[in-house]
Amino acid sequence: MPDSALPRPEIQFATIAQQGDTAELGIWAFLINETIFFGALIFTYFLYRNFYPHEFAVAAKDTVLWCGTLNFLILITSSLTMVLSINAAAQGERKAMILWLVITCALGFAFLLVKGYEYYLDFLHKSVPIVAYEIKPGEGNAGILFWAFYWVATGLHAIHLMAGIGLVLYMLLWRIRRGLITPAYYAPLEVVGIYWSFVDVVWLFLFPCIYLVGRS
Amino acid sequence: MRIEVDPRRAKALPFAVGWAAVIVLGGVSLGTAFLGIGVWAPIIQFGMSFIQTVIVYVLFMRLKGPPSLKWIFAASGFFWLLFLYGITMTDYSNRRGWPPPSAAAPPVLETPSARAP
Repeated sequence: MPDSALPRPEIQFATIAQQGDTAELGIWAFLINETIFFGALIFTYFLYRNFYPHEFAVAAKDTVLWCGTLNFLILITSSLTMVLSINAAAQGERKAMILWLVITCALGFAFLLVKGYEYYLDFLHKSVPIVAYEIKPGEGNAGILFWAFYWVATGLHAIHLMAGIGLVLYMLLWRIRRGLITPAYYAPLEVVGIYWSFVDVVWLFLFPCIYLVGRS
Repeated sequence: MRIEVDPRRAKALPFAVGWAAVIVLGGVSLGTAFLGIGVWAPIIQFGMSFIQTVIVYVLFMRLKGPPSLKWIFAASGFFWLLFLYGITMTDYSNRRGWPPPSAAAPPVLETPSARAP
């Protein structure tokens, strides 16, 4: 590729490739914080699950398994479509890149829709601590600890996913529209993809924590 | 203008295989929840989660390939997490009154789900 075809790097970088590598390292540095953030939350869960295994098992049995499973499928599929969009960007296939990104965004919204419906069912079932909560038979006083974790963890995850959807929309409506994502420089899309897949990884751990306890 | 495509971004098949592998592992995880294998269920389930994470990290998050410094960044998150876990457990394991009395002798509860099927 002739040098004239490459976009000019920002002033602090020698080359556009260096700028892209730095952007990737930047998102990984951010994900260190996110790993500790969600890791601490999940550790707290394990601590209390260890202390109150029976109460947690009884409480977790009331979570809506099909919603959690459907959301697992939606999220992992959205990670695939995000990667396919980055591949298309690398190959200079603009239409395919946009199409895969739109599908990724739609899957993100689908996740939130399913989650919203699940929250509605939880509300009807009086499983919302402080707002609408009722101790179910067998849960004891520790059941509320499970539900507190459920709401905090899934709520924080949903906020992260909303941020991801916002970033995808920013790519679609600003960067790509202005022709700033090219085969020569698609690092911003790559960075969004890494973040999106991390949000997916968080769900891979929340899924067994929340939905698979006390089923047998 | 001829485009030189990054070879790691030229094919969709590895990503599709990775996606299928994560779903299959998720299915295994889901299946163990109903097998009644006691303490092995969460061990297998979180084992599956770790394998799925490795697939997503290496393949989807493109940990494989330059810049190799990414590996250090990715690993350091888990490294500091181990510190956090270790220090927290040191604290909890030396506390008086832990685990709480109700947790030390949990009641046997065989209550069916209160939620209508």
